[in-house]
Amino acid sequence: MIEAHSLTKRYGAKTAVDTIDFTVRPGHVTGFLGPNGAGKSTTMRMIVGLDRPTNGSVTVNGKPYAEHRAPLHQVGALLDAKAVHTGRSARNHLLAIAATHRIGAKRVDEVIGLTGLESVARKRVGGFSLGMGQRLGLAVALLGDPATLILDEPVNGLDPEGVAWVRQFVRHLAGEGRTVFLSSHLMSEMAQTADHIIVLGRGRIVADAPVNEILANASGGSVKVRTPQIAQLGPLLESEGASATATAPDLLSVTGIVAQRVGEIAASAGVVLYELTPLTGSLEDAYMELTRDSIEYATADYDTPTTAEATR
Amino acid sequence: MSTSTPTPVFTPTGRDLSFGGVVASEWIKFRSIRSTWWCFAILVVLTVGFSLLLSASLSVDPAPTGDSAQSLSVQAVTISTTFGALVVSVLGVLIISGEYGTGMIRSTLTAVPKRTPALLAKALVFAIATFVVAVISFGISIAVSVVLLSGKGLETDLADPQYWLAILGGVCYLVLVGLIAFSLGAIIRNTAGSVAVALGLVLAAPIVLNIVGVLTQLVWMQNLEKILPSSAGSALAAYPVESSGAPTTEGLWTIEPWAGGLILVAWVVVLFSTAIVLLKRRDA
Repeated sequence: MIEAHSLTKRYGAKTAVDTIDFTVRPGHVTGFLGPNGAGKSTTMRMIVGLDRPTNGSVTVNGKPYAEHRAPLHQVGALLDAKAVHTGRSARNHLLAIAATHRIGAKRVDEVIGLTGLESVARKRVGGFSLGMGQRLGLAVALLGDPATLILDEPVNGLDPEGVAWVRQFVRHLAGEGRTVFLSSHLMSEMAQTADHIIVLGRGRIVADAPVNEILANASGGSVKVRTPQIAQLGPLLESEGASATATAPDLLSVTGIVAQRVGEIAASAGVVLYELTPLTGSLEDAYMELTRDSIEYATADYDTPTTAEATR
Repeated sequence: MSTSTPTPVFTPTGRDLSFGGVVASEWIKFRSIRSTWWCFAILVVLTVGFSLLLSASLSVDPAPTGDSAQSLSVQAVTISTTFGALVVSVLGVLIISGEYGTGMIRSTLTAVPKRTPALLAKALVFAIATFVVAVISFGISIAVSVVLLSGKGLETDLADPQYWLAILGGVCYLVLVGLIAFSLGAIIRNTAGSVAVALGLVLAAPIVLNIVGVLTQLVWMQNLEKILPSSAGSALAAYPVESSGAPTTEGLWTIEPWAGGLILVAWVVVLFSTAIVLLKRRDA
């Protein structure tokens, strides 16, 4: 569990993170989305105490990170794959970090195996490719078998196989009841990995909601409904606040409502559906929409269900 | 959140962060970088080489006796200390500025978020390793110089505690000047800048102050030169010879070995404390 309260970071006149509140819950993969310079990395750095908040606070499992007796068992962080001395071998890098918490060589070799670094473990990090560096960063994050994982752009530079592995692995970790908080620029990646998404724009939270709500609420996020009973279903959907347009004799394009709800309404009214397709397009669309018009979402409505309701 | 099913909460296990662990970590880091071994190899070669050169080329006829003989014997061992100090200073800067330069510091401070133990452990590992290597290189130099000088009729009195104290002073100077450079590295955080400042302080500042002090005849400036690390180190590593009664300028300080040691410790305490305060305050 990560909890931020009025978290703020200013660098001189520039406000990188502007009074944000959010909660990242255990058992879920929470995505952290935002354009470059939105303040994602700064926020993550403040969580582990690398940057000191100008104002507000952030805790991990109830305490500031630095107050934990075993920080590496609480949080595994991949904030910057380049946070490695280039003259040292990968294995020595891991051994050195592990030693602080008396984590043995056995676990070091375990994470080397887990991240597929066996062949380069004894080579100096200076010659690593971006992907290898990223794997090493993941290995460091996993060293302490931590309750919380904070991963800044974890799939950056990984090959497709590595991306799939990370996706699967973080889902597995969340399934074990761990807190997983990851940022990514690959927004379609988020749609497949995260349960919940926090979107940051210009240092403020512009959305904080389950991933399907984020997708559904973005304009352009329409639902394609094929039914022989257009005339019956259309008004029903509109009474729920959605707008439905007939694009063909048996086809409705519905916006402002999630596909799930369309199905429920149809079922309760006994309307037959031939097709129900959420045309969410990409998360990119949703994301562009959100960050373009941040004001609309920039209220303190970080409590998840209300954001979605407020925007309907 | 829509979940009504109870989510399992993961409870971490494992040992706590401990200072012993941080020291072990810093030792692994220290020995797994090539520059450490290069610097120490250079230190040994410099120390032994200069000692060999001086002892072999010195012509002592007639051989001095008493204090001046002992003083010469000490010099035959510690002659290279000025250069040794430069090597140790570079290493002291590198082990911390290298972490800032590469970004490693962020990994270090994530593992040790209270920060102070990390810097303390790093300084401790560096100080102990430098002490050991300095003892080894001076030890070889002692063996070499005593034998060579003895062959020229200059017998070193190894039962003289002052002889050992002076050489121990040389060892301590190397450790302390290394810690001064290390602290500068932690304050400045940039390798080039830190090396420049450290070498400026150890090498250039005494020369500048000395020349200006002598030319202007300003006593305070000459005294200032005496409390620089290098001068304090020379005092610490000197074999105390009874003053021949040569007239000294009024108000000019004479730095005894113990005072030289204290001055160096003061430098370390001030700079290291500054480094700790800045480390705690600054974003990594």
